[in-house]
Amino acid sequence: MPPNELMTTTIPTSRRTPPEESNMNMHSMTVRGKDRYKSGVLEYKKMGYWEPDYQPKDTDIIALFRVTPQDGVDPVEASAAVAGESSTATWTVVWTDRLTAAEKYRAKCFRVDPVPNSPGQYFAYIAYDLDLFESGSIANLSASIIGNVFGFKPLKALRLEDMRLPVAYVKTFQGPATGIVVERERMDKFGRPLLGATVKPKLGLSGRNYGRVVYEALKGGLDFTKDDENINSQPFMHWRERFLYCMEAVNKAQAASGEIKGTYLNVTAGTMEDMYERAEFAKELGSVIIMIDLVIGYTAIQSMAKWARRNDMILHLHRAGHSTYTRQRSHGVSFRVIAKWMRLAGVDHIHAGTVVGKLEGDPATTRGYYDICREDYNPARLEHGVFFDQHWASLNKLMPVASGGIHAGQMHQLLDHLGEDVILQFGGGTIGHPMGIQAGATANRVALEAMILARNEGRDYLREGPEILAKAAETCTPLKSALEVWKDVTFNYESTDMPDYVPTPSVAM
Amino acid sequence: MRVTQGCFSFLPDLTDEQISRQVQYCLEQGWAVNIEFTDDPHPRNNFWEMWGLPMFDLRDAAGVMMELNECRKVYGNSYIRLSAFDSSHGWESVRLSFIVNRPKDEPGFRLERHEMAGRNIRYTTSSYATDRPEGRRYG
Amino acid sequence: MDLDTAPMTDAVNLRDELEAVGIEEILSQLDRELIGLKPVKTRIREIASLLLIERIRKRMGLTSDAPTLHMSFTGNPGTGKTTVALRIASILHRLGFVRRGQVVSVTRDELVGQYIGHTAPKTKEILKKAMGGVLFIDEAYYLHRPDNERDYGQEAIEILLQVMETQREDLVVILAGYGDRMDKFFASNPGFRSRIAHHIDFPDYSDDELLDIAELMLRDMNYGFTPDARAEFVRYIALRKKQPLFSNARSIRNALDRLRLRQANRLVADLDHVLTVDDIRSIEASDVLASRVFRKAGKSAEAS
Repeated sequence: MPPNELMTTTIPTSRRTPPEESNMNMHSMTVRGKDRYKSGVLEYKKMGYWEPDYQPKDTDIIALFRVTPQDGVDPVEASAAVAGESSTATWTVVWTDRLTAAEKYRAKCFRVDPVPNSPGQYFAYIAYDLDLFESGSIANLSASIIGNVFGFKPLKALRLEDMRLPVAYVKTFQGPATGIVVERERMDKFGRPLLGATVKPKLGLSGRNYGRVVYEALKGGLDFTKDDENINSQPFMHWRERFLYCMEAVNKAQAASGEIKGTYLNVTAGTMEDMYERAEFAKELGSVIIMIDLVIGYTAIQSMAKWARRNDMILHLHRAGHSTYTRQRSHGVSFRVIAKWMRLAGVDHIHAGTVVGKLEGDPATTRGYYDICREDYNPARLEHGVFFDQHWASLNKLMPVASGGIHAGQMHQLLDHLGEDVILQFGGGTIGHPMGIQAGATANRVALEAMILARNEGRDYLREGPEILAKAAETCTPLKSALEVWKDVTFNYESTDMPDYVPTPSVAM
Repeated sequence: MRVTQGCFSFLPDLTDEQISRQVQYCLEQGWAVNIEFTDDPHPRNNFWEMWGLPMFDLRDAAGVMMELNECRKVYGNSYIRLSAFDSSHGWESVRLSFIVNRPKDEPGFRLERHEMAGRNIRYTTSSYATDRPEGRRYG
Repeated sequence: MDLDTAPMTDAVNLRDELEAVGIEEILSQLDRELIGLKPVKTRIREIASLLLIERIRKRMGLTSDAPTLHMSFTGNPGTGKTTVALRIASILHRLGFVRRGQVVSVTRDELVGQYIGHTAPKTKEILKKAMGGVLFIDEAYYLHRPDNERDYGQEAIEILLQVMETQREDLVVILAGYGDRMDKFFASNPGFRSRIAHHIDFPDYSDDELLDIAELMLRDMNYGFTPDARAEFVRYIALRKKQPLFSNARSIRNALDRLRLRQANRLVADLDHVLTVDDIRSIEASDVLASRVFRKAGKSAEAS
């Protein structure tokens, strides 16, 4: 089987390696007995970090790295080094290893495959014993797996592609504070994606002006509005101003529509104390949802998730900053790993891509992220970049958010790509409407409801989408003008991150 | 005003044929459809009165439509909604809900503000309809 | 194919039409599966043809009303009424006269309640489940108790009549039972009579047909008569028919169940014997002859 063909077997336990790779995966080179601990420098692959016969246990954490060794470095040695540096090893042999159950704690690279169509890159599968990690701590998990090894000199580049988290470890995390099911019950909204918008301009609006945008958008038919990631507490708008005016807007829109509304109040701040203070105030004002940015760090995120669970608050996460390490294919951490960590950490919303909008997102890869957020069990799907079977052990579902450069005219595509359990955020697509913000919101809501109605009726809504929208626009002028204004807006650029495995025609899909 | 709860409130009121197609969709997903009515459409009034039990094991929407028409005969000037329940693991909740009947006039909601310390305001939303006793709210 | 969405037309190729709906398949399945019942099969072919033409008329714009399709099946127990109802439901479904094609089979107990206010919800519950398909009411005459004016059955009857009239496109009702009792039932409930479009009478099976049925059932279960056993079973049929509570194919099935029991007993009695496949499959004459029908011919009831 050529390496670029889709392998349907589950990877970690499969020994069916492609023939031309089998020599790579054949032998253990571990030095055993007293030679192992002789002072000096030993190759990582001889220290026990390369164990091609190792069968990962159900309780092991498995990481898949994309390893790009420096020229002339043996890929197996490079992969073993990754295993070593992300677990027990240091650059030289230490006798103190012998005071420990070292063999258990050593991460074991058990498989190295060349990456299809990418010369010089290798997929290294590494198993870690559960005892290497503190329960319920993303900080500890990430410090172990990505703490040290990414700057390791013998590697040109390194990327953490995916992780298999054993149920035993998943169960030590709280998971999403609210989850999709309870969020829908609290918001009293069922059967359709939720609609949101980020208040624009991002910077400069006073609290009073800002609240105006929130009121118009919510009254017009959106379910949520959202602070942007960098709206915290700046000279033009102190956070308390924003919170007070926003809640006036939310309550007014609620009374005007008879529907539950919300606005993600961004509580991101310089210290935990400040964040808690802001979150408490949001609660006091009766907000249903608060928001944090990914840049506050994993521990702060977990703290806020616990706070959110205790205080019946939906917790929105903006993935601010992730592209610095998720976007390039050869180096960094894949967003699918971040998505897994965030589901463990316990946020309720996460931005996960739009496919059709202005930000990075190949459809198949994005599909993989959405599955990770929403399913209770993810089967390995190489064509979506999902390398492992992952059980979520009934951890709440995490609501993905699609935001950035999307508009009402794409509603059929959005529904097709992203499904029903998603928040569609039309910022420019609401606030930039020629007839005003309310009209923009109404256009989006009408387009969405018309599309759901058509889908449920069994129509081929993807193909008939434009027709369905045009028909709905006959009784909705705002939709008509939205379709007119944005009719030609698309963002078609080459994706920088796509699955390495593409389905071949011989595989039934 | 128009209460916009439910999945299709921004569209023109659904015809019986459209309602029936949505019901059929729910039945084909294996969901049980429930008819609920109220004269208190407060956004946090979760528990509308049930018109009988959720209808389990139906194959065709006509059964639900028969009950809906009965319900309309009695509560034709109230809000009536259909809710579809999914019993599958991981959901066990409502999967679709939409309004299928409204009173002729929808008076909307009053928003009361209680000024508190620190510019904080306590908001209370109440339906003008509930100013009158239950059963006499919509003519 | 959905009747509502089929395109308007002014010319129809009957052969294509038949193939498109695939009812020939159901009719031949009926021929294969059911022994005898010649007049029933003929009636069903007639009804299928009528419905096929009705469907075409509708597409040509020559008719728009939903036709009345409610039926009565009369005949003694075990004459194939339930099986035929299932096939009819498939035919109606393929032709687009019912939307889903399920059969909900009930008797009085599932329709009529025990106290005031109990009956209407019960009847409606059943009707809702049957919507889109066929409601098969066995021994329908029990709904009507002429001796008791306050019987709740009357309430069920009224609801049924109303739905049969106003929701003809939503469900088809089949009333079934003994011929003579159904006649009386229709006589005292003219509302039903007038709403029934097709009456089908299910004749009793002849002795030969009952034997064929027995052999077919045995074959399906991987059993068979030895020649002697077969001869004795012919006698059994003749005797059993004269006894009370005979119910055609159902009595045959019950008899076969008892034969299998006796055969098993006989085999187990001889633990030293090495069994062959043939031994396991064969029903022998002694298994048949042990029936009480032979001993108490003319006296005993169904149980033996």
